[in-house]
Amino acid sequence: MATYAEMREIYDDIRGDFRYDHELNGCLNCGICTATCPSAQFYDYSPREIVQLLWTENVEQVYDAMQEKIWACAQCMTCAARCPFKNSPGGLVMIMREVAIKHGMQSAKDVLRPFGRVMLKLITTGNQLSPDMIQPDHFPDWGPNIQKVEGNLKTLRKAIPMRTLQTTDTAWEVSLKTSVEMYTIWEMTGVLNSLETMDENLFDVIEDFIDEKREEYDEWLEEQEGKGD
Amino acid sequence: MSDTVLVVGAGPTGLSAAAAASSVGKKVVLVEKEAILGGAPIISGYAKLVPSGEWAKDAIGRMVARVENDSGIAIHKSSRVVKLDGEAGNFTATLSNGTTVNCGAVILGTGFTHFDSINKPEWGFGTFEDVLTTTQMEQMVASGKIACPSDGRVPERVAILLCVGSRDRQIGREWCSKICCTVSTNLAMEIKELSPTTDVFIYYMDIRTFGLYEDKFYWKSQEEFKTKFVKARIAEVTRAPDGRLLVKGEDTLVKRPIVIPFDIVVHAIGMDPNEENPEIAKVFGVGLEKHGFLDRGEQYTNSFSSMRRGVYVGGSALGPEDIDTSISHGLAMAMRAVGEMNGLVQKAA
Repeated sequence: MATYAEMREIYDDIRGDFRYDHELNGCLNCGICTATCPSAQFYDYSPREIVQLLWTENVEQVYDAMQEKIWACAQCMTCAARCPFKNSPGGLVMIMREVAIKHGMQSAKDVLRPFGRVMLKLITTGNQLSPDMIQPDHFPDWGPNIQKVEGNLKTLRKAIPMRTLQTTDTAWEVSLKTSVEMYTIWEMTGVLNSLETMDENLFDVIEDFIDEKREEYDEWLEEQEGKGD
Repeated sequence: MSDTVLVVGAGPTGLSAAAAASSVGKKVVLVEKEAILGGAPIISGYAKLVPSGEWAKDAIGRMVARVENDSGIAIHKSSRVVKLDGEAGNFTATLSNGTTVNCGAVILGTGFTHFDSINKPEWGFGTFEDVLTTTQMEQMVASGKIACPSDGRVPERVAILLCVGSRDRQIGREWCSKICCTVSTNLAMEIKELSPTTDVFIYYMDIRTFGLYEDKFYWKSQEEFKTKFVKARIAEVTRAPDGRLLVKGEDTLVKRPIVIPFDIVVHAIGMDPNEENPEIAKVFGVGLEKHGFLDRGEQYTNSFSSMRRGVYVGGSALGPEDIDTSISHGLAMAMRAVGEMNGLVQKAA
């Protein structure tokens, strides 16, 4: 259990986010956000509750909501479209999630763990999903439609009349230069730091991968210089 | 110096101002754009008024008759003022029917426009026949029979949604329309009176039955007419397969989303600025405030002044207003107009 000082620090981080004042103007307690919220239909989650906790500076309950509730939001932002005060409860949840990650909260780790594979693919290639990840066992919700992507993947992909889409381990061919630029973005925007806080093992794997790609890129650059002479 | 007061608009404000100015001996010219006098309560067919409980056609009807029977008041129906030249004490107004009026002061009782519920499409107005506005529901009450417009059945349950077109930044209406809470509780009682098997639910953010309306309307509607109040703003109105309306909201007191079937859904529509205010402001040389209502000058010692000397503005042209207060505004503006005209005459003598 966190101390009050720790909870206060987490709250202050949320409050201090530059988006905060834009997403929260006050609250009329009208409930239209919860009424329209798809997640509220199925989970113990209410966007109005989140807004109220933040607006009334209920530090302990804000911390409590970050254990489970904020992870039920689907980030559809219907609440923001409907709020008569032009608040964005979904936007506030986004800030709370980022702060939860920054502070290495266990709830964030638990929620993100199943996404390790997707994270690896996303950070290393910029693709969330590749054709070779789509296996019947992983996508029961597709039902019989999954058969459409079964069979010889390589042949199926070759049938796409666009060369950059004829890949199986990425959704499209990612150029070396683009990858390296993307790594710089991950680094400068703090994504890699967040990842390190959340999952050290995954971070190590990804960093090795990034180092390798950067070396490859440097070699390629040298090669180009050689050609120019 | 002219001894005539020009009154624009023949609703409660204008009717009150015209009768008052005439009663102290001024000549009055009353201009109304519609073919009949009475303003919104008559044109939109309101039922019983708050707080008197008198039928609008009777109460406002008396105000109309008083003005029509007053030989000191010249009435121009189906007319507008298209031009106003001159200054306080000596204005020249040109009417759309070609008449020219020389007048010493101008009183604007140009009123408001009902919010058009089409601007909140997710609440079903214009999509489902059984979604109505308070104005339409008042007309139904005035007709004496409560029935679903779709098939004529007697509704088991009626929902009234408050703050439709009020207190809503999403559609640029940041004001409280002031009267809808009281009007809705009144309407709930009228519905129950005409149709005792119908239960009425009111969905609210806050209840603002101000002043003495608390017990006479808010409490009475619960204690004597069993009106149910649910603290929820509605997210959307849809239709169930059986044709009934589904109202989706959050009961904020029990903190859970709810979907409840209803037979009729009523929008408690707010008061918009008169849609012609930009034109009115131009013709009379007065200003608009930030919501689009007519702007007022200093209120404490220059009460009901507009942004142009000699032109007074009051009633729901200034902002959402109830009928009783609008009538008082009319009286006050007549006092201001007459006082200023007499003062100018004395100064000239």
